[in-house]
Amino acid sequence: MIDLHSNPIHIRELSDQDPKLLDYANRIYGLKSSPHSLESHLHQLDVAGIDKAVIMPIDCTTVHGGKLVTNEQISWLLEKCDRFIGFASVDPRDPDALKNLEKAVKEYGLIGLKLDASLQQFDVTNEEYAYPLYQLCTELNIPILFHGGMSWSPIGIAELSNPIKLETVIQTFPSLKVIISQFGWPWVQEAFMLGIKYKNVFLETSILFSGTPSDSVRQVLAEQIGIANLYRSLSEQIVFGSNTPRVDPKRLVWAIEDLELDKKLEKKIFYKNAARLLSLSGGMDG
Amino acid sequence: MKSFLKTISLHSKEDMEIIDITQEILDAVQEAGFDLGTVHIMTKHTTSGITVNEGLPDIEQDILEMLHRIAPRKHNYRHARFLHSDGQMAVNGYSHLRSAVLGKDTIFPLHDGKMVMGSRQTIYFVEMDGPLHREYVVHVLGE
Repeated sequence: MIDLHSNPIHIRELSDQDPKLLDYANRIYGLKSSPHSLESHLHQLDVAGIDKAVIMPIDCTTVHGGKLVTNEQISWLLEKCDRFIGFASVDPRDPDALKNLEKAVKEYGLIGLKLDASLQQFDVTNEEYAYPLYQLCTELNIPILFHGGMSWSPIGIAELSNPIKLETVIQTFPSLKVIISQFGWPWVQEAFMLGIKYKNVFLETSILFSGTPSDSVRQVLAEQIGIANLYRSLSEQIVFGSNTPRVDPKRLVWAIEDLELDKKLEKKIFYKNAARLLSLSGGMDG
Repeated sequence: MKSFLKTISLHSKEDMEIIDITQEILDAVQEAGFDLGTVHIMTKHTTSGITVNEGLPDIEQDILEMLHRIAPRKHNYRHARFLHSDGQMAVNGYSHLRSAVLGKDTIFPLHDGKMVMGSRQTIYFVEMDGPLHREYVVHVLGE
């Protein structure tokens, strides 16, 4: 199983290295609970049944003065544990963004880019600073995970992450692989529309708004979209993501299992679609 | 009267787990070095518990299964929402209820320098929302 969306901000070893991370986690991300050890984190992956977890930072330097984990810390975690897959983050308005992304991919071995327009407060359609990043991702052949919809950050602006804004980006960069987190909630129909229209768009499952993850995932996938439409139109494009540490990853796994989908589709969601998206080769049976 | 307090930590490894902590308690009591008094063992968390029972694998499994029956995961709990004070989803209502049922602590008498226990009694830390790093305290009051 692959968890395509997690943030290692709550791993204590990182805040031990850089105590400012605790302040950023609290002030920017809105995470107020105590960090836990890498050992506990790996036990949580075990219980959830997650073989590989994509870990990603968020660089908010321009607007908030800090990074929610750095690309270098992601690289350090990759060296510590081979169950992690690393995505990079750069601040789109940083003049060195392109250089930093290239370094993260070529030197640190990171294989995707995380952008959070709500938190980084940028316009995803900006041709001056955002489009060159998309062009570079196309050239490097790496996907971008866009935060989609509501931001739980106390200073996040949801409107900036309305997935409908991505359509011009998708059309301008037709070979760019785009992942939209949390099915874009509350703009689920907009995200669904992009998914059924564009085959390079992937929708990620960390749907968390009220009730348990099982409640909210069921409400969106079964009631708003409809299970039949998952089979018909999205079976190759749904990827499992937990958005840890907003919730313990086991609960998102249970949420998907509680849908009682056909095992073939469940395996695509938990493993195959992400493996194809990330160009991972054999070794895991999911 | 003197007070001895020791905090002991552990890493639980399962969602639900029953962990024998008897020897850790006996070691802490010995470390306190008191002849007479009371030994109080308490978990510091609201989704875990302390209990005493016969140290048999089947009893241990029955206790966990009882907790599943009393507070099943799939139920319409009120505690299923975003918790602003944590910045995380609080979706473990059943874990809190299981903890409430089992209780947070237990007490043993201390006499002639030894903790008074029945021959079949085993002391357990019970994880109800793991895996997590956990702490419990051993408090010895006496002289």
